[in-house]
Amino acid sequence: MPLCLLEKVKKTYRMGDLSVEALKGINLRIEKGEFVAIMGTSGSGKTTLMNIIGCLDVLTSGRYVFADREVSSLSDDELSVIRNEHIGFVFQNFYLLPYATALENVLLPTLYVEKRRDNAEKHAVDLLRLVGLEERAKFRPNQLSGGEQQRVAIARALINNPELLLADEPTGQLDSKTAVEIMSLFVKMNEQEKTVVVVTHNPNIASFAKRIIQIKDGVIFE
Amino acid sequence: MKRIVLNLKIAVGALLNFKLRTALAVFGILLGTFSLIVVSNLSESLTKKTQMEIANLGENLLIVRSGIVRRVGTGTRLLSEATTLTVADAGAIVESSRFINAVSPSSNKSFPVRYGDITLKSVLIVGAVANYSEIRNFNVKDGSFITDEDNRDFNKVATIGNKVAVELFGSENPIGKYILIYRVPFQVVGIMEEKGVDVSGFDQDNQIFIPLNTFLRRIVNKDYINNISVQVIGEKSIPVAKAEIEDILRKRHRIREGGKDDFTVIDLKDVLALKTETMSMVALLGRTAAVVAFLIGGIGILSIMILIVNERRVEIGIRRAVGSRKRDIILQFLTESVFISFSGGTVGVIISFAATIIIFSLSGLPFTVSPSGHIVSFFASVGVGILAGIYPSKKATKIQPVDVIRQ
Repeated sequence: MPLCLLEKVKKTYRMGDLSVEALKGINLRIEKGEFVAIMGTSGSGKTTLMNIIGCLDVLTSGRYVFADREVSSLSDDELSVIRNEHIGFVFQNFYLLPYATALENVLLPTLYVEKRRDNAEKHAVDLLRLVGLEERAKFRPNQLSGGEQQRVAIARALINNPELLLADEPTGQLDSKTAVEIMSLFVKMNEQEKTVVVVTHNPNIASFAKRIIQIKDGVIFE
Repeated sequence: MKRIVLNLKIAVGALLNFKLRTALAVFGILLGTFSLIVVSNLSESLTKKTQMEIANLGENLLIVRSGIVRRVGTGTRLLSEATTLTVADAGAIVESSRFINAVSPSSNKSFPVRYGDITLKSVLIVGAVANYSEIRNFNVKDGSFITDEDNRDFNKVATIGNKVAVELFGSENPIGKYILIYRVPFQVVGIMEEKGVDVSGFDQDNQIFIPLNTFLRRIVNKDYINNISVQVIGEKSIPVAKAEIEDILRKRHRIREGGKDDFTVIDLKDVLALKTETMSMVALLGRTAAVVAFLIGGIGILSIMILIVNERRVEIGIRRAVGSRKRDIILQFLTESVFISFSGGTVGVIISFAATIIIFSLSGLPFTVSPSGHIVSFFASVGVGILAGIYPSKKATKIQPVDVIRQ
């Protein structure tokens, strides 16, 4: 079974009387262990597609199966559990909590795990070491550079050991040198058998992936 | 636990952006807790004081006073004197009423008292009989009280109040010494225990007891008295006994139907009840103030929580994205509002404790810490926190990650 299976997925946004069809029947299969880049210009529907894959948003019609679960039939709470246990998110704006330290930010997803592990903190420190920020564990986001903040976000995405790493323009706020470092981290994660999906408009970033999907006006080309 | 600590740390960081509003909200709860606890402590202390006074009064006591006595606040004032109350009246009361155990006639007037070089200008001299001590629950500390023999033989002996003893004799032992009461020498035979101030504010340690007959013949030269202490058989019988006494005295004094009494029967517990009533009005006012303060605090917390939720939309979106369920969000914001409220409550408890110490040391009331006041204010501050947090936290769950994270 593939990790993600989308069949005829449509997503329509209503804005008053106007309805905008962001996704016009997407068929997509992502196997376990793949490194996929979803490419498209802004307004192409790539962020909507990412939100659907990441169980952040529900589809209007069609079918989405994630890790053998029929996502469209899940409740809000069940979607939360899937995001918590199976998906790690990395965003363009990092989205770290400003009042928490790097370590606390990494630990954030563990606060919502049903059966909490005792060694969460040690695991978080290990992940900070993995992304090269062991020394900065007690720093707050505003004391870190953009690249460092994104590393913290990646460590946060990995803390609950998810199958899928989902990144939305992860290098959009970074200079090209730092961008390469961040992408190398994703490659490394993929080598450790994580499925990685990166959404980007930048061909240089997409070139790190093994498979590139183009999206335009809510339809995909490969 | 770790979750709560981390969440609170984040909350404190967010609250620091709204220092003034937070301070106001905290202050409201603080005031509520403060007034609730201080009022509870005070009213409990006053209740204790009243109970102590009741115990001091003597059991099931009614006092018949000659003349018309009006209550002025918690004290009494003699409006008109009468010359009709006699020792025989006392005897008639105890014989005619089934509800009365014992009576003790007495009469008093202030006189100068002298010992050696020391003169006290005005000491209440009480002409009493032997059972006065028992009926009024006022005992001797040293020596003895007036006896029936003293009364029968017109002996010139005196049992003096503790304050009189200290003022006249200092460290000297007064027993066996002679004092001058209004130029008549009396031998001191006993000293009363310390009793303090009575309900009407009279210092009971500043009086001297001498035999009633001696008082009437040698000191005032009159044959009427001004007091009869009556011990009723039980608390329930007090109203009946009071009515009977009034009946008996009206007959004996030949007061016609509709005529004015020339005596007054006082139930001291009524006086105390009046005092308690005034006090409970004060307590009620204090509690109303507390409720208002809690309300203000609650509204303050409500408004600050709404602000905070709006300010932290992104944070809520991130939390939802990494897997927090709606109930986790609700729990988080409820914890925060309870935390604000509870910290106000804690400061309130500390300040009220300080205020309580100051109030009690200034007022001389018995020091009391009311457990119920603390329990109620604990639940009130937690309850206000929860109530004020419900709406904002519900509002927070409406925020979806896609709404905040979309670029």
